[in-house]
Amino acid sequence: MRVTEQMRYDSVSNNLSQLSARQAKAAQEAQTGLRVNLPSDDPIAAAQLARLSASQSQVTARRATITSVRGDAELAESQLQQASDLMATAKEIAMQGGNGALGASERATLALQVKDLKDQLVGVANSRGASGYLFAGSATETKPFSDAGAFSGNDDAHVVDIGNSTPSTVNASGAKAFTAAGGRDVFADLDALYTALTNNDAAAVAASLDGLDTSRSQITNAQAAVGLTLNKLDASDSVQSALDLQNSKSISDVGAADPAKAYSTLMQLNNALQQSVAVSKSILDLAAFKQF
Amino acid sequence: MAGLTQLLNVARDALTAQSYGLNVTGQNISNASTPGYVRRVAVLETNNLGTQSGGGVRATGLQRITNDYIERREYQATGTSSAATQRDQTLASIESMLNDGGGTGLGSALNDVFASFSALAANPNDTTTRANVLAAAGAFADRANELGNNFAQTQIDLKQQAQDTVDQVNQRAQEIAKLDMQIAQATMAGDDAADLKDQRTQKILNMSGLINTHTFTDGSGNTVVQVAGTTIVDGKNARTLSLDLKADGSLQVFADQSGGGRSEITQFLTGGKLGGIKEARDKDLFDVSSKLNALVFDVATAVNTQHALGTGADGGTGRNLFDVGPTSTNAARDVRVSVDVFNRPDRIAAASNVFSTPGGSDNAVALSKIFDTQIALGNTKTAAQAYGDLIGSIGSARSGSQRDVETQGAILSQVKSMHQSESGVSLEEEMVNLTKYQNAYQAASKMIGVADQLMQTLLNTVGR
Repeated sequence: MRVTEQMRYDSVSNNLSQLSARQAKAAQEAQTGLRVNLPSDDPIAAAQLARLSASQSQVTARRATITSVRGDAELAESQLQQASDLMATAKEIAMQGGNGALGASERATLALQVKDLKDQLVGVANSRGASGYLFAGSATETKPFSDAGAFSGNDDAHVVDIGNSTPSTVNASGAKAFTAAGGRDVFADLDALYTALTNNDAAAVAASLDGLDTSRSQITNAQAAVGLTLNKLDASDSVQSALDLQNSKSISDVGAADPAKAYSTLMQLNNALQQSVAVSKSILDLAAFKQF
Repeated sequence: MAGLTQLLNVARDALTAQSYGLNVTGQNISNASTPGYVRRVAVLETNNLGTQSGGGVRATGLQRITNDYIERREYQATGTSSAATQRDQTLASIESMLNDGGGTGLGSALNDVFASFSALAANPNDTTTRANVLAAAGAFADRANELGNNFAQTQIDLKQQAQDTVDQVNQRAQEIAKLDMQIAQATMAGDDAADLKDQRTQKILNMSGLINTHTFTDGSGNTVVQVAGTTIVDGKNARTLSLDLKADGSLQVFADQSGGGRSEITQFLTGGKLGGIKEARDKDLFDVSSKLNALVFDVATAVNTQHALGTGADGGTGRNLFDVGPTSTNAARDVRVSVDVFNRPDRIAAASNVFSTPGGSDNAVALSKIFDTQIALGNTKTAAQAYGDLIGSIGSARSGSQRDVETQGAILSQVKSMHQSESGVSLEEEMVNLTKYQNAYQAASKMIGVADQLMQTLLNTVGR
């Protein structure tokens, strides 16, 4: 083959530019630590990365949801615990008041205590969390219980998506814990005790015990339900955090460059480029006229 | 006496011929790196004096060392390579528009919309959370608008580039026709017209980078230039190409017909910059753009349908979250946060009915569940899958075009190398030629000296 001047220059410049393009690519990989910087670097991996990051975003949103609703659920649980304690106190008062040896004035004192208990219970049932009134159902901006104990909220569930197949309920039902919707109207039971004590009616006081018991267990049941919700939140969180880890790992597996490999490739190409420059120089030095 | 004069004449012819050779060598050396220069060889032959022998040497002209076959291969390879490069440039810019590496792209915006629905379900009653839904929806619409506008602008730019390219092709055609005329005149005057021929080859090569070009020599020795299967230069006549848009917005190229009117040659457009523009604009960009529009339309429509079922904190229902047209046409460019809810966080429909406001979250959960629902591409893919497909398809197109650029570039440099090997200047060769002609010239001068001496000797003898 006849070799001409232009061929020499062309081949030197082609080879150098190809090599430096590969070197630039390797440098980018080593610098960013990413194997897929553009969709065209690996189209299949790029599509996979887009889906993985979507799935990762969903996991992150679910974990944020869990964190955000857990506070109110924990608050609801402790408030129901308080409510249940108040009911226990009411029961003690009822047992005391049922004692036949007690006089009218003592019962009147006990009645005052019951009234106080009811006030406290209304306060507990009206407690507010981060997302409004805890026991109001979906009417979170309206005080659900009047001072007399009349319920104006509803039994709507607050549902969120935490990764389960169906949306999960995360609020405690005030309707089921405190009102007739759950079986007994807790406030009416306290009212009955108050009336019996005020009327100095020992028999009626003793008779109110059963109702108070049932009321208390109704509150305890509601508390247990919130406990279950908290367990469910924990379980979902660990599922989502495992997914989070898995997604991060997949994203790194699919998209990240192996640092050692990236670095050694870069070094190799750097050397190759230097050598190629040296060789090119000696090829161009060959020019016949220099010797002429 | 006749012998000595003859010797002088032979020496004179030798000096002329060798200096012609030196001259040609000089031309070759000085044009060693001139693009399109074809090496010349001085043609020397024995001076024929009828039946007499010993007629010395004469230079009859020079020969351009070319090979039509290789030249045609070079036109073809230049066209294919230039089309691949043009397409790759366009795809590179589309790819960078869609690249989501920094997490600021459409994919992240889409994910954020669904994340904002999730947050809304957790806190349906919180104004900030509601405002975040609007912000996320706005960011998604903005990103979609930006992409839609960029794609539309790219389409306009490419049309302009196509127009410029057509103008250049027409100009080259004029120039080639003019050169053809000059070459014909020079040839008639007995000139070799080597420089003009170099120029013409160079112009045709330049043209082949603009549009797929083919040449052949017709019966009367004219070089006919064809682009996209149509003769554009035939001897000293050149035809004109023109550009138009079809009803669907794609490019259309026409060639003027000699009898008036014009014929469409779009379907024969396979190479050159123009071929690359057509492929990138009317196929690649069209494809990506329709996929994007479909995705944006499907997401906006699905979200709207669910959102309209729910109720805002103000008790209103039946509202859209996005304003989007009835079909996917230009959906990316035109999608906006709906005027129904714009700047009204309270109107975000988190609850499923008016009785469960403001704390109800059923509809917010349903909205966030759209993420897992197959709403895109005729209800066969989720939005994230469809977005992944979009990214994958632009990635495959670009990596394909990168491979094309490499392959066609390698073919082109091989053909160029073949061409150079045939027609290029080799300085080694020229150095030898230079020495050869120099020595011959020196020897011829010596001949004159010898003839002169002999003549002197003779004259001295006779004169005594």
